[in-house]
Amino acid sequence: MLAIASRDEHAFAVLYDRYIDLVYSASLRVLADTGLAEDTSQDVFVRLWNRPETFIAERGRFVSWLMSVTRNRAVDELRARGRRRKREGGPLGEPDEAAEPLFSVEAVDPQGSAELHEEQLRVRKALMGLPGEQRQALELAYFGGFTQQEIAAQLREPLGTVKTRIRLGMQKLRKSIETRD
Amino acid sequence: MPGEHISQEQADEYAIGSLEPPLERGIALHLAECADCRDIVRDSERLAATLAGSSPQRRAPAKLKQRVFMAAGIRRPGPIRRALNTGRALAGVAAVFVAIGAFTGMVWMRGQLEGLRADDERLTQKIQVALSQEVEIAALTQKLDDQGKEGERLAAAATGDQELIVALLSNNTKIADVLPAEGGANSIGRLIWDDDQKRVWFVASDLPQRPPGETYQLWANSNGKYFPLGTFEADSDGFARYQTVLPGGIASYDVVLVTIERAGGSPTLEGPTVFFVQDLSRLKD
Repeated sequence: MLAIASRDEHAFAVLYDRYIDLVYSASLRVLADTGLAEDTSQDVFVRLWNRPETFIAERGRFVSWLMSVTRNRAVDELRARGRRRKREGGPLGEPDEAAEPLFSVEAVDPQGSAELHEEQLRVRKALMGLPGEQRQALELAYFGGFTQQEIAAQLREPLGTVKTRIRLGMQKLRKSIETRD
Repeated sequence: MPGEHISQEQADEYAIGSLEPPLERGIALHLAECADCRDIVRDSERLAATLAGSSPQRRAPAKLKQRVFMAAGIRRPGPIRRALNTGRALAGVAAVFVAIGAFTGMVWMRGQLEGLRADDERLTQKIQVALSQEVEIAALTQKLDDQGKEGERLAAAATGDQELIVALLSNNTKIADVLPAEGGANSIGRLIWDDDQKRVWFVASDLPQRPPGETYQLWANSNGKYFPLGTFEADSDGFARYQTVLPGGIASYDVVLVTIERAGGSPTLEGPTVFFVQDLSRLKD
């Protein structure tokens, strides 16, 4: 990031190659549209190039920051385009059929992404270990951009139930990841 | 809300974005003022971010890179530029090979050059030896020439001596005392006139050497006419020996004179007389 802050185009290219698929995948998960996912990925990397100072190393890992930026940008896009209605009733996080095929993380950057891949596996296992309703509540909130009230309305569950599912889901997720660290 | 600290549950809800907008804005305002709550939310955000990273991986389109770099204002090399870059890289590799070749060639050339230098030194030494030998040969040649000339001189002297001996033994040879003229001082001389060999010798001692520009010249008067018989010099000991062939038309002499003339001799008698010789036989008659 220091190299990018000093306008090192080569460093930016390396960073792009390493994280573009992660950013694109997260964007696609939220937006379920390849074109919008490309636009969002572009916005994220252009912002990274133009304002690298927004990432502060002391506050956390770069990949966490990048995923937060990507998710927030994608959700903003989702809300701005009014796609929420379109997504209602459909399966969350299902990408377009026209999207690129699934591939393993190792294929992206076998060496550099090893640690990332390990963490992804842990999170996936943790998610799969959650009760279905808790995982669904978390995914609707995080990838769908829904508020708790919107989730409750969509699932026809009381707001308190949704809040509890989210709270428990996050607690279990945290505990699951921390115990493996 | 801005005055109250947030709970872990609220931090998690905030991190995954499930809060209602008014409450979300309230927490954001509080976070701007509360470092402790920021730490809590940051931890929740890191956890939430792992959710994004856990999404099924899909490969971004290759064309997206071009778009992103153009949007960022970074010029990515197009096909032509890449080709040029590839060409430059190949040219660079070629240049490296050329440089290696040049270096190898230079090393080889250097070896060759050193060999040539060694050959040159050997040839130079040989030339110097040959030159020194040539100098020695020239010196020897000169010495031989000198010795040859000395030999010729000695041979001539021997011949002259032999001719003089023959003249002295001949009955037809006239030997006359040389009489010094006024100023001739203590000089003593002889004149040997050999009709058989048509030669004449003049020998004198205690004869002073002439200064530069002057010489002694021998004259013979025959039938009232003076004939120049040549010039000669005295050596550092004052000794002079001169012989010459008599010119045609002179069968005898009336008077023989030795005069001092300008260097190289004079066609007519001009200088002062040093010696004179009269034909004694005629005087006797």
